[in-house]
Amino acid sequence: MRLTALDEAAETIGLRKGQGVAEARAMYPKLDVIEEDLTADRRLLDGIADWCDRYTPLVALDGSDGLFLDITGSSHLFGGEQALLKDILLRLFQMGIDARGAISSAPGLSWAASRFGGGGVIAEEDMEHVLAPLPVASLRLEEQTVVALQKLGLKQIGDLILAPRAPLARRFGAKLLLRLDQALGRDEEPVSPRRPVASLSAERRLIDPIQAEEDILYLTGQIALSLKTSLEERGAGGRAFELMLFRVDGRVFRIAAGTSQPLRDPKRIAGLFSERLQAVHDDLDAGYGFEILRLNVMRYEAFDTPQEDFDGARQKDISLAGFVDRVSARLGADCLQSFQLCESHVPERAVATNPAIHALTPDRKPAAGVFPWSRSERPLRLFRRPELVEVSLAEVPEGPPQSFHWRRVTHRVSRSQGPERLAMEWWIDGADAQSRDYFRLEDDSGHRFWLYREGLYGQLPSPRWFMHGIFA
Amino acid sequence: MVQTPMTRERLFALREEVARLEGSSVAAARQEALAAESGHSRKAEDQRFPLGIAALDHALEGGLPLNGMSEIRSQAMRDATAATGFALALAALLQRKSEEDRSPVLWISDTVTSMETGIPYALGLADFGLKPERFLHAAPRGLEEALWLAETAVESGAFSVSILEVKGNPAHFGLTESRRLGLRAKAAGRPLLIVRQSGEEEASSAPFRFLVEPAPATSRFLPDRSMLGGSIGNPVFRLTLEKSRNPAPVSLLLEWNPHDRQFLPAREPEHARSARKLPAHSGPRLPAPANRPDRPQEVGPVLALDRAS
Repeated sequence: MRLTALDEAAETIGLRKGQGVAEARAMYPKLDVIEEDLTADRRLLDGIADWCDRYTPLVALDGSDGLFLDITGSSHLFGGEQALLKDILLRLFQMGIDARGAISSAPGLSWAASRFGGGGVIAEEDMEHVLAPLPVASLRLEEQTVVALQKLGLKQIGDLILAPRAPLARRFGAKLLLRLDQALGRDEEPVSPRRPVASLSAERRLIDPIQAEEDILYLTGQIALSLKTSLEERGAGGRAFELMLFRVDGRVFRIAAGTSQPLRDPKRIAGLFSERLQAVHDDLDAGYGFEILRLNVMRYEAFDTPQEDFDGARQKDISLAGFVDRVSARLGADCLQSFQLCESHVPERAVATNPAIHALTPDRKPAAGVFPWSRSERPLRLFRRPELVEVSLAEVPEGPPQSFHWRRVTHRVSRSQGPERLAMEWWIDGADAQSRDYFRLEDDSGHRFWLYREGLYGQLPSPRWFMHGIFA
Repeated sequence: MVQTPMTRERLFALREEVARLEGSSVAAARQEALAAESGHSRKAEDQRFPLGIAALDHALEGGLPLNGMSEIRSQAMRDATAATGFALALAALLQRKSEEDRSPVLWISDTVTSMETGIPYALGLADFGLKPERFLHAAPRGLEEALWLAETAVESGAFSVSILEVKGNPAHFGLTESRRLGLRAKAAGRPLLIVRQSGEEEASSAPFRFLVEPAPATSRFLPDRSMLGGSIGNPVFRLTLEKSRNPAPVSLLLEWNPHDRQFLPAREPEHARSARKLPAHSGPRLPAPANRPDRPQEVGPVLALDRAS
């Protein structure tokens, strides 16, 4: 076992990373060693990244112990870059996290300066000047490249900047020069945010944290009201919303809600989250309260301003959409489903279920059901999976059964219709899939069933009978 | 009997109160008559939807209540599709009525029933006279969610009919909950159907309860109006109106014609045996106590049903 991380006290007494635990214990018997928990570390980093959302929505993870924040256009909200960096580091320090940071116009330089240099804000003209004295390891290179460079005497980045480029590229590959250019800001390096960036967002920062659900909902309505104008400018309404709640102690909650129609009415948006809060009630621990509320519009669509009419049909559409949104917000989008007809003659593939929230758009009503193929009557209820039925007596080769045994009850068939032969779809089931002969049967007490025989008599494997649905 | 004006007044007030609680049309009619006597008339608050069968509509006092809850029950799980069929036939009728406003039907299914008898099948619904594109299927995870869904659906007023499927007599769906749902339906003026699969009779706030059993289907007609022997035609339900203001239960056979979307009276089939299993011996059943004495048998006519759960 080896040491992977050290706290301040351990560093001051001279322990190093990579040292054996036995050796360290021999030096300091009172050493407190905790086993490394990578998932917990990852969780912590994710938590900090979530927390950093308060500064910018563009937060990217960097390895296992770093974060990139793209603060383009957001630093002025915090009183400039210097103040922003100070604020971040101070708040993290207060939470017990020893963090270092640097702000520059190149991610590579910020990385190098925060890990190997003094950090701070680096102005555009000082970039080369700051980078030059740093060791080559601060260029985010592989271990062996760093070792090889050091063997050649190229210990500082300054040496690399002065060295001719062509031999370097020949010897160490293009990666080295790419990293160098990235650190100097000559080459563009995109920071890919860890979460999709919201199309629109608005937030409220509170001096006094709030805990009560009503307060959260009220504020959500207020924020939605301020989003309304931006949505109106775009002629759009939101389809997917996200409410972010920043708790005082740094925890961030995200609550997502979708709608079936583009939405911009603040009252309905707040109503959506009222259902969501009901649903996530137990997971949402308000603790000492939330200090920042942010409402994101993740996706928006064109919003056609409806013309109100007198007969109230439009009102019906709205109430249906409202119902679908409420249910989807509270019980999940999969709870409420609408049926969609598909082009397949296999009964279980002919109908697909579609979450109602996606199927319901005001102008595009689901297409009217047209059934182009001729077929016999279908049952009212269909089993998800056909159930095996014991048939003891059936007309051979292709007649209906005389009686069958299903769920421990023997049913005597009094009338029957069929067969309707359905060949399986060879492009899905393969060429050797057995065809089905469907029968509509009525037993002597009036129950009507839909049975099918898979395969044919006189062929191997011997046919099996299945119950697939029940008629009214 | 001599009535002073005072007692008469109080009697009227009480009658009115009772009628308001029960929401009965008989009482309302009487009230109307009285009101007409006193000079002002009141419109009947009830909305009824006639089913087109005279005997049934008479027993239902005009038809299915459009602003309230009705219950449909099946005795065993194997009859579940019959109850489903009757409920959906009513839904098809209501959908036909509200053809122009295009409001959908909501089916709130029960998980266990869905596993045992399958989920509503869109092509089958189309064959049954419903419009599958105006049919929403909800699959809540538990009874609590189902009740919330039913309540929200009725309140939203977006559905021509909401159907709540329940299995058996769950403890959390008793008189209180059914009363709550009934009041919501009444307040919203929307029909709500409770389909109780393999359930017992239980006290509920629904003014009507139907028992649905399957019956042999009609035969198909040939073009020359003769019957095609051995064919399976329109579905037939054996319907018993178990609970109504009528003291005697009405029992009749109903044929559902999916093409015309209407109910037709059906004749008693000759060749079928009854689906109702009668006990072999007609004497009193001996109690079979496992670890406690059996409940004392009720004496006299049933006035109120016990909780079955």
